[in-house]
Amino acid sequence: MDLVFSRDSFTLRGSGIFGEGVHLVSGPVGSGKSTLALLLAGLLRPESGTVRRHGVLSADLLLQFPEHHITCPTVAGEAASWGLVPEDALALAELSGRADDDPFHLSRGELKRLTLACTLLKNPDLLLLDEPFSSLDCTTKRKACGMLEERDAGITIVFSHERAVLPRVDAIWEMEGGVLAARGSVPDAIPSWRHAPPYLRYALEQGARPVNIRLSDAREALCRIRG
Amino acid sequence: MIRIADLRHRLLDIPGLAVDARHIAVIGPNGSGKTTLLSVCSGIEEPDAGTVRLLDRPPSAVKVGWVGEFPDRTLLFSLVYDEIASTPRFRHRPCPETDATARAAAEEVGIRHLLGKETSSLSGGEKALVALAAACAGDPEVLVLDEADSHLDAVTAERVSRVVRESTAAHVLWCTQSMDAAAAADYVLFMEKGRVRHHGTPAEVFSALEETCFYPTMWRVCR
Repeated sequence: MDLVFSRDSFTLRGSGIFGEGVHLVSGPVGSGKSTLALLLAGLLRPESGTVRRHGVLSADLLLQFPEHHITCPTVAGEAASWGLVPEDALALAELSGRADDDPFHLSRGELKRLTLACTLLKNPDLLLLDEPFSSLDCTTKRKACGMLEERDAGITIVFSHERAVLPRVDAIWEMEGGVLAARGSVPDAIPSWRHAPPYLRYALEQGARPVNIRLSDAREALCRIRG
Repeated sequence: MIRIADLRHRLLDIPGLAVDARHIAVIGPNGSGKTTLLSVCSGIEEPDAGTVRLLDRPPSAVKVGWVGEFPDRTLLFSLVYDEIASTPRFRHRPCPETDATARAAAEEVGIRHLLGKETSSLSGGEKALVALAAACAGDPEVLVLDEADSHLDAVTAERVSRVVRESTAAHVLWCTQSMDAAAAADYVLFMEKGRVRHHGTPAEVFSALEETCFYPTMWRVCR
């Protein structure tokens, strides 16, 4: 990918290669994360440059606001609209009893779980997730992370400013003021990650070297140096 | 003082609660009744049964400032100035006072440069700050924030925290999914299935939650 995109006074620039594995794109609100997700999904066209896909036959973008995905009057219909067997999607989303409910009667957390389960079951070669954790409670965030970590093939790109519950990732990228910067692969990328969550920063300051970015990784690294 | 007695409303079931702290964090899983509790406490909804008293008055007789989770859905006016000025205007304050109040609120939140802008041109974080300025205009006695930090980055969230700390409100009811933010409150209510499952100082409440993911991440690594 190598592209430039601008709208009004905002310009986004980025280049890099997203290989197989889980990538985290972090950065402040308004830095261009969602715009980059739309560009990578092919829903926006760059002004100059291109997004080239190799070996990517299918791609899905999970939108930040799950209600924007809804096209059917029932939860089961919504799962079917993704081309899935509704029972499978509802079981994964832990919503089996809600098949006939109106999707708008689900809570935000439940709706987010449903759309996440649908995208994961579709198992696209390229999976783009825009703020998959916002407004979820920590229990649901953890489940979502577990579901992402179980995906064993393809390219997964998570765009998020989450600072407490994160999945195990392979590479870190940062957006700031519309510019995408590659921090590299984990764990070597961790010390140069400017938007690292406070617990990770604390572990680094203590001299610990976490192997990944989760809270459990920070605690294990601290245990190793504290004995 | 916030007093709740025999409250039953939708899924809420709170037999009795009296809190005499300024900054009160309301935490708990999605769907546990946090937003419903905030609505009842700010007078947006009348409870089916029971009473809520803020400062020994019913919520409708108290000046309450409200910041919702999605500022996009609560902004009413197309200009930032009109949005912030709507608070004194709805209270029928005279024009010179309205102008002074709106400008002071924008100054307090650090968004004076946005006053002439259209609300639709703002970023999500800026919209949250405008909603906060509108809530703070005219010095509310009670400030209520419903997961206002869910869609904010660390820098903007810190700015919101500062404004809330410095506001003259006697009580701040702040619902959040950031346990590290809740750990800085004076008092914490942990809600589950419509009930207040734990309440007390952050140390008291989080010691009961140590086995769960609701324990603050910084406490987890520092202790």
